[in-house]
Amino acid sequence: MNTAVGRLVRTELRLMTREPLTVIFVFVFPVVTMLIIGGSFGTTPTRAFDWVNPSHWYVASYLTVVIAATGLIMVPVHLASYRERGVLRRFAAAGFPRWSFALGQLVTGLAAIAAGSAILLIVAAPVYGLPPLHDAARVIAAFALGAVAFVSIGVLLGTVLPSARAAQAVGLILFFPSFLLGDGGPPPHVMGAALRSVAGYLPLTWVTDAVRDPWLGLGTATGSLVVAGLLTAAAAILAVRRSAL
Amino acid sequence: MNESDVVTVRGLTKRYGGRLVVDGLDLDVPAGQIVGLIGANGAGKTTTVECVQGLRRPDAGTLRVLGLDPVTEPDRLRTMIGSQLQSAGLPDRLRVGEAVRLFGGRDGTELLDQFGLANRRRSAFGSLSGGERQRLFLVLALVNHPRLVILDELTQSLDPAARRGVWAAIDQLRTDGTAVLLVTHELDEAERLCDRVVAMRAGRVLDAGRPAELADRYGTAVTITFTLPAAASPDPGADLGWLRDLPGVAEVRRQAGHAMVVGNRAAIAHVGAALVRAGRIPRDLNVELPTLEDALIGLLDRADADLPDELACLEESGALR
Repeated sequence: MNTAVGRLVRTELRLMTREPLTVIFVFVFPVVTMLIIGGSFGTTPTRAFDWVNPSHWYVASYLTVVIAATGLIMVPVHLASYRERGVLRRFAAAGFPRWSFALGQLVTGLAAIAAGSAILLIVAAPVYGLPPLHDAARVIAAFALGAVAFVSIGVLLGTVLPSARAAQAVGLILFFPSFLLGDGGPPPHVMGAALRSVAGYLPLTWVTDAVRDPWLGLGTATGSLVVAGLLTAAAAILAVRRSAL
Repeated sequence: MNESDVVTVRGLTKRYGGRLVVDGLDLDVPAGQIVGLIGANGAGKTTTVECVQGLRRPDAGTLRVLGLDPVTEPDRLRTMIGSQLQSAGLPDRLRVGEAVRLFGGRDGTELLDQFGLANRRRSAFGSLSGGERQRLFLVLALVNHPRLVILDELTQSLDPAARRGVWAAIDQLRTDGTAVLLVTHELDEAERLCDRVVAMRAGRVLDAGRPAELADRYGTAVTITFTLPAAASPDPGADLGWLRDLPGVAEVRRQAGHAMVVGNRAAIAHVGAALVRAGRIPRDLNVELPTLEDALIGLLDRADADLPDELACLEESGALR
């Protein structure tokens, strides 16, 4: 595929692997934190973990850490840095359609999520074992919706924030509370009421619930799946409008 | 509008917020010609070329570029234009060879050789010097053999040797029939390269013409200096009277054994011929021509002098209230 759009997407994929921020936050950080947190609570099911193996509870949760790192850090920083340095202007002047760059970001973001998730599962399998999928269709649907939603949020942030530094600052401020409260931190049952209430409003909490609950057989998480779907639609529409797709 | 025009702009107007940046500009760029946009910062040059490329939507006016309307068909048009834009970069980790393949769909070996970048093919953009980056931008602008090339601050950061190489490449484009629209602060570059220059100020065209025409119109006079080979007369200037009567000569002065003749371009030939006829051929005859830089300064000074009148008119019309 030697069209301008094909060349742009291939180039973006190649550049993704050379970006230290991507390598650290999307490929390394989720694996390291999953290994630490996943081993911190043992393997005995407790009430705090809805009576499932805590290690499995975290393995099922951490796929969405990859999604959040991609959407809240990798994509916005990459896009804002391109805007700041006039790279988008050069692409536009060279005749790359305006929508092709948004497409490139979507493909690159989804590829990063797929690769990061694969690495996570490959590392988790021999250490903690992979929990069996109770409802694969719902898990895949929630994972896909969450991935598109967070990449869209990333495109949106990248088109709004004025510089790569601003995108990095805002991305980190959004990522860590989401990560600690809605995904990779303590389980909701051991949080205080106030923190649990805050966590309930975080988009990453909904996406994580929608992936983890049907995976571990804790429920269908239909409400979270619907919210994840609505989040995806809203974020995608806004991202498309901002990038003049 | 001429059939051979690659770019035709009429009445282009562009505002940013309430600020008028381009004000009713007309511009023609014929095939096989290099047209330069010159003027001080904020004159509206870059905005004009961005409108021509369809990167900005004009508020008023009509534009036709390579037979297309940049407002309604920008994506199609941009694939036919090669452009080297001011302050537009590339990703730091993109390699030179990858950039050429990305923009041109091929290796561009010949162009990389021509611009001295063949040995940097595997180097990341972030590791290139300012001059190498500028040369790479030129390669990217030319890699698709465009019929119109837009160059904004073409030789910024280039050393003199690289500058000459780039000028030669631009000259070759003209020979090949490509139209070039050049935005530059480097007036020696405009003088050297352009068939026609358009002087802009505050979004308007002040004047346009061949560089030499503008230099004659607004620049200083021609100055011819030489040492008189014959013995000087005791009366200073007495043996120069015969030069004073030559066509085109405005003034003749004598300073420390040197003669200085001031006049128009025609004076050069007349003074030379007269010296040969008189058998007094100087070894050090030097001619100083008016430059485009002199002309632009003269033109801007003249426009500044007119500005109070314009402001008075605007005040009268209530536009400033």
